[in-house]
Amino acid sequence: MTEPGKGDAVQDEYPTSDPNAVLLPQPTAWPLVLALGISLIMAGMVTNVAVGILGLLLSVAGSFGWFFQVLPHEAHESVPVTGEEIRSVSTRTLMEREHRHPESATPRKILPVETFRITTGIRGGIAGGIAMIVPATIFSLLKYHSIWYAMNLLAAGGFVSWAGASDTFLSQFHLQGLLAGLLIHGLTSLLVGLLYGAMLPMFPRYPIVTAGFMAPLLFTGILYSALGIVSPILNQRIDWFWFIMSQIAFGLVCGFVVNLQTRVRTPQFQALPFAVRAGLHSDQDERTHQTPTNTDEKGISK
Amino acid sequence: MSEVAVIPQNTKSAWVLPSRGIVGMACLIVAEAAIFLIFIVAYLYYIGKSLAGPTPHDVLDLPIFTSICLLSSSLTVHLAVSALHHGRRSLCSLWLAATVLLGSIFLAGTAHEWYQLIYRDGLTIRTNLFGTTFYSLVGLHATHVVVGLIMLSLALFFSLTGSMTSKDTGRLEVLSLYWHFVDAVWVVVFTVVYVLGR
Amino acid sequence: MATHAPVTDSVVNSAPRRLVLEVLHDWVTTVDHKKIGLMYIGYALIFLVIAGFEALLMRVQLSIPNNHFVSPQVFNQLFTMHGTTMVFFVGMPVLFGFGNYLIPLMIGARDMAFPRLNAFSFWIASFGGLLLYFSYLGGSGLYGAGSAPDVGWFAYAPLTAHVFSPGHSTDYWTLAILLSGIGSIGTALNIVTTIICMRCPGMKLNRMPLLVWLYLVMSCLVFVTVSPLTAAQIMLMLDRYLGSHFFDTQAGGSAVLWMHFFWIFGHPEVYVLILPSFAFANEIIPVYSRKAIFGYPAMVAASVGIGFISLSVWAHHMFTVGMGAGANTFFTLATMIISVPTGIKIFNWLATLWGGKIHFTASMMFAVGFLFQFLIAGLTGIMLSVAPFDWQLSASYFVVAHFHYVLVGAILFILFAAFYYWYPKMTGRLLSEKLGKWHFWIFLIGFHLTFDFMHIPGLEGMPRRIYTYEADRGWMMWNMIVSSGAIFQTIGTLLFVYNMVWSFIKGPIAGPDPWDAWTLEWSTTSPPPHYNFAIIPTVESRRPLWDLKHPDDPDSHYE
Ligand code: HEM
Ligand SMILES: [Cu+2]
Repeated sequence: MTEPGKGDAVQDEYPTSDPNAVLLPQPTAWPLVLALGISLIMAGMVTNVAVGILGLLLSVAGSFGWFFQVLPHEAHESVPVTGEEIRSVSTRTLMEREHRHPESATPRKILPVETFRITTGIRGGIAGGIAMIVPATIFSLLKYHSIWYAMNLLAAGGFVSWAGASDTFLSQFHLQGLLAGLLIHGLTSLLVGLLYGAMLPMFPRYPIVTAGFMAPLLFTGILYSALGIVSPILNQRIDWFWFIMSQIAFGLVCGFVVNLQTRVRTPQFQALPFAVRAGLHSDQDERTHQTPTNTDEKGISK
Repeated sequence: MSEVAVIPQNTKSAWVLPSRGIVGMACLIVAEAAIFLIFIVAYLYYIGKSLAGPTPHDVLDLPIFTSICLLSSSLTVHLAVSALHHGRRSLCSLWLAATVLLGSIFLAGTAHEWYQLIYRDGLTIRTNLFGTTFYSLVGLHATHVVVGLIMLSLALFFSLTGSMTSKDTGRLEVLSLYWHFVDAVWVVVFTVVYVLGR
Repeated sequence: MATHAPVTDSVVNSAPRRLVLEVLHDWVTTVDHKKIGLMYIGYALIFLVIAGFEALLMRVQLSIPNNHFVSPQVFNQLFTMHGTTMVFFVGMPVLFGFGNYLIPLMIGARDMAFPRLNAFSFWIASFGGLLLYFSYLGGSGLYGAGSAPDVGWFAYAPLTAHVFSPGHSTDYWTLAILLSGIGSIGTALNIVTTIICMRCPGMKLNRMPLLVWLYLVMSCLVFVTVSPLTAAQIMLMLDRYLGSHFFDTQAGGSAVLWMHFFWIFGHPEVYVLILPSFAFANEIIPVYSRKAIFGYPAMVAASVGIGFISLSVWAHHMFTVGMGAGANTFFTLATMIISVPTGIKIFNWLATLWGGKIHFTASMMFAVGFLFQFLIAGLTGIMLSVAPFDWQLSASYFVVAHFHYVLVGAILFILFAAFYYWYPKMTGRLLSEKLGKWHFWIFLIGFHLTFDFMHIPGLEGMPRRIYTYEADRGWMMWNMIVSSGAIFQTIGTLLFVYNMVWSFIKGPIAGPDPWDAWTLEWSTTSPPPHYNFAIIPTVESRRPLWDLKHPDDPDSHYE
């Protein structure tokens, strides 16, 4: 039996006449000789020229030998197929098949049948990033009477020379600070959005809750403990209340935007029995379909 | 052979994959390009940092003629491949010979240049940073030219003896890819050493 | 009709016994990807034991203050040889070995694209290792006392200049790495070509097992990382042999340039090592969770993303050089960005585990250990990526703890998992689960004793690469604990070696598919025949064996 799909290069090159044999490249020592030769040339550089000369000779011999292995025809040998036939069976499912939960049509685990595209997360990140500016600016205005303060503070994380800057300095407008702050802020929002988008399929149900509260809390918690080391200047001046407020603003808007987006059906959708599929509107309860998985898993072969 | 491990289905549609030689050569070219990149970075970094003369401006001349030879050999090797593809073997030999000739002229040019630099201007690899970076970068390229010339001469030899047929077009094409790469590197080296660095 | 073949015991039963010389000839001349893969693995394991022994000697030396167990010169050689061996002659070959063995099987091919080049690459890399260790016998020529390299695994200039390392010790280092580099590039080229050109019908790129994807990314990374190292080594050789001035500060050369060149290789290199570890995790975790991998496209995208980003972070190893605020900020941010694709991966693994029916085999236990420890190592990495923090801790034991957390806690752990998982395929026999679990727990304890507590003397200011220290520094207890962990790790490793040998002779017969897995290598006998597949398979989905086992519910309907 030959393969009509001529994908396999080995088969292409060595057309088999004997159906019970496979042609494979012939074993050869020439690559070894060449490798040894080159290694000895190198070794000659740290030991003795004689070693190097030996290496050179071996390399030349190896190259020639190799050359005639592949040209004009690649050397090959015919290996007989020893008729061991394997049939792949799942050791676990066969026994349990009949006793399976009657409703389930499949032994597979049903994952969420609807989820969001990963770009959804990015969109959410951008929207959240814009929203975050509002509480940050309010904070700057209230505490330092300048709209630039928060931006400059963020930028100071990047400029080592700003580490000792005074509040007045940070309250003024600096183009450099604006650009750096925008860059850091934009990039971070985008990346957080991306990460969020990648996580969304894990809990696609209530994006506002996860994005609006869980993520900011987590993020703030980590940052709160780490910031002292990471960026002392930020840590000294940060107002944690306002900080959390901006985080939550980010999260809520991000979650809201995500919620507006349409969901896409995952391939898992087709695994559902037709009856369920037909009546499915949105969030299908995954629990009912977990039972079959368990039956899949009895005993391990030894 | 009644059953196979995996049920063969859908065998109708053709399953075509790229040729191994070309992909392998492309990989080699990427790796080589990375090596050249490092040497070029070193060259650029050390421009004007030599503590003593001679400087590039004093001693380097533009190798225009030999560069033209090398670059045109890209064309001849391409013509050789297409000649072989159409089964015109003697034409292929002719173009291959031209390629080898042009490559050798380039190499001879480099040899002459080095001879002049060493014996006329007293610039060796030990003299200063310019010597260090110049000889290593140009030398690395010249090594590649030598390797390419050896392979091309072999191809020429087999073409003359008639053992290279249009079945071997694929192989010659892979070799020509390498040669194009060597030429392309020369364009960069030329720009860096003789234009920017001078 | 096909039946479940009685797996014959090919080791014992094979026709008349063959002479040792014949067997040896077979192995030496082979171009078979499976044999070459096994030789890679075996050779790496030997060097693992050697380099592990060197580490043990260093830990003995450091366990108590004012110790003179070895001389300072020997200590310098030990850490140099340990680091060089572990990276170039353990890490690379063992990963290439698994790649060599598994990739053709997983994509339904009969061999690598260039079988002879494959053999050549293996041999030249292994001769590199031999050359490196030959330095112990003949460092300054065949005569004279042996002198192994002692300049550290990154061999900063100008320490490598003739004045500071006379004789040939540094040349041994350079030449050995050059040889290993040629081998690495050859094998990487082979892997990429195999993956692109040798897939069986139906194995589209988006159906390839994730392991194959990760090896593709890793091999592409090898081209752009090992080549710069090769270039830098050539420059160093020119400096040392021909008297050029690349890294010669007396003649205006730059020592910092070497650092850049080394780390342009060095950082991506650690990703070259970790990507195959991800690859193993991607195969092992789903099978033992009894679920398909979660988020296949995201995993592929994250891997490719990691490959690219890892090229732009090298200078986080050079914060203390004084590169200026702009560069520091850039490299800090670039390093932090890596955590995004890495985070995506970790979440996807967790999601794969989530709700799965997890089988805690020895292999799975190591895989879970990998997940946990990789996370922590990533966190200390992020901490170090912050320039001011790094100024404090660079070149301290904190850094040593960080990268050993990755190299041992993540890479070695998942390697052990890979051994438990694929050993049955390679030998036809299962490794003992009981011994495996012992191995896991003992090694886990040893690992955490050593590397958790290594962070502390680092924070207290203990520099790396010191020969010994005064008793009043307060590092004493920590070093004692760290050294005692090494004992546990040694015992665990010995247990593993014993398990491999014992199971090879006495282990239970595995059969073709002991784990009820889904990728093609499990569709053939264990060990696979010389030709892998009697008939080239055709695949319809990412889990061809699932399709086969569940003809009524194939994966192809879902992708
Ligand atoms: C993926 C596996 C990783 C490996 C194998 C690894 C390995 C290493 C090694 C070998 C060193 C020390 C080099 C030396 O000084 O001799 C190191 C240092 C460092 N690593 Fe990692 N690392 C990994 C992941 C990470 C990650 C994820 C990050 C950050 C996100 C990171 C950040 C750093 C930093 C900043 C240093 C420099 C510390 C210093 O020299 O002061 N590493 N790593
Ligand atoms: Cu790094």
